[in-house]
Amino acid sequence: MAIGLLTRLWSSIRNTAQNPKVLIQQLPYRGLQFANFLCALHLFADHVATISSVQGPSMIPTMANEGEIALELKWINVHKLARGDLITYASPLDPSRPVCKRVLGLPGDVVCVDPTGTYAPSTEHVVVPKNHLWVSGDNLAYSRDSRVYGPIPMGLVRGKLYARVWPLRDATVFPSNFDFID
Amino acid sequence: MQALRLVRLPWTKLRHSSRDLLAKRPTIHWLLSALVWLPLGLFVTDCIANVKSIRGRSMQPTLNPDDSQWRDVVLFNRFTVRILHKYNRGDIVALKSPVDSKLIVKRIIALEGDVVRTLPPYPDAEVRIPPGHAWVEGDEPFRTEDSNRFGPIPLGLVESKLSYIIWPLSRMGPLGQPVIVRPDARRGSPDWRKSQADLEREKWRSSRVTLAPESSSPSS
Repeated sequence: MAIGLLTRLWSSIRNTAQNPKVLIQQLPYRGLQFANFLCALHLFADHVATISSVQGPSMIPTMANEGEIALELKWINVHKLARGDLITYASPLDPSRPVCKRVLGLPGDVVCVDPTGTYAPSTEHVVVPKNHLWVSGDNLAYSRDSRVYGPIPMGLVRGKLYARVWPLRDATVFPSNFDFID
Repeated sequence: MQALRLVRLPWTKLRHSSRDLLAKRPTIHWLLSALVWLPLGLFVTDCIANVKSIRGRSMQPTLNPDDSQWRDVVLFNRFTVRILHKYNRGDIVALKSPVDSKLIVKRIIALEGDVVRTLPPYPDAEVRIPPGHAWVEGDEPFRTEDSNRFGPIPLGLVESKLSYIIWPLSRMGPLGQPVIVRPDARRGSPDWRKSQADLEREKWRSSRVTLAPESSSPSS
C-alpha cells in the first residue's frame, strides 16, 4: 500500500514537471498554501506547544548548561500554576529574551528575598502581590531572578516546561520537587 | 490485511457521505474551503495588526474624547512591538496590566535610565526607570490607573502599539505623532485652541522626565 502511494506521488510529480505551464499557473496558489501551512505551524508553536532548547547555567542541575531540549506547553492557565513548576517568561530586563525559572511563590505567599544573603539580608521577607509570581533559578549562584528584579507580573508568563525530550537517555516528565515541612 | 479493510470500511463510508453532502450544499462546501485559510488570518491578527475599539476615559482627550458619541476604533500595530521590540517615548501602547492582566491603553512617558517626577499615589517623589522597564501614564491624570499606582512596568507586558484612528472619521489619522501648533488653524478658532491644549499637556509631560544621558535627543 505504501509503495502504491509512493508511485502515485512520483507520477504526479513527473506529470507536473513535464507541463511547466501548469506549474507556473499554479505557483502563486501553491505558494499561498505553503504560507498558510507555515502560519498554522507558527500559531501552534506560539499558542499550543513547542519544543525549545534551554541554554545557560541558571537551571543546573535540572537543565544542563546547553544541548537539552524540552517540551514547552503554551496553552496554560497562569492562575493554575503551582509552586515548583518550571515556567518561561519574557525577561523583565530585556523583553526580547525568554527565560526559564522555577515558580517559588504564588500571590499571597511570604517568601524570603534571598536566603544566600548576596542581594538582600537573609532575614528580609516579602509578600508576593496579587497577580504576581516569585521565580527563582535552581542554581542560585548563577541566576538573575526575583532576587534581582522582584516578583514578576503574570502577564509576562509565556509557557510551562513539561518534559525533557532530548537527550533521549534523560527524557523525563519534570516532577514537582516541592515538599511541605512541618 | 482483512482487518485493515474492516477498519477502513466505516471511514470510506463517512468520506463518501460527506462528499455527497458537500456536492448537494455548495454553501457548506464554500464555508469549509474558506476555513482552510483561517491560519493565515489568525497569523495577521496575532503578529501584524489588529483592529479594536477602546473603552474607558483614561486616555482622554487623545482617545474617546467627551464630544465624541462613538467609541474610538483603532488599528493596533503588533509587528513593531512583538517582532521588532521597538519602544519610543510618547507611543500609545496596549499592555497587560500588572494588577490583573487585563489589556489597558496608556502612553509611554519614560524608558530605561530616565528619571521621572511622579504624581501623588506613588510613594517616592522621583524614580529612575530600571533597565527593560517603562513608565506609562494615561493622558487624563485624574481617571487613570497607571505607573503612578503600580510603578514602572516591564516592557514584556506591552502587546501592541496604537498607530491609527479608524473611526470616527472626523478624527481619522495617525496616533503618537509629535504635537505641533497647526499652521492651518486660525488663532482663536476651536482647532487652534485644541492644539494649544495638546501642546501644553505635552510640555507638562516632558517637563517631568529627565532623559537618560546616552539618549539625549527627545525623538529616540
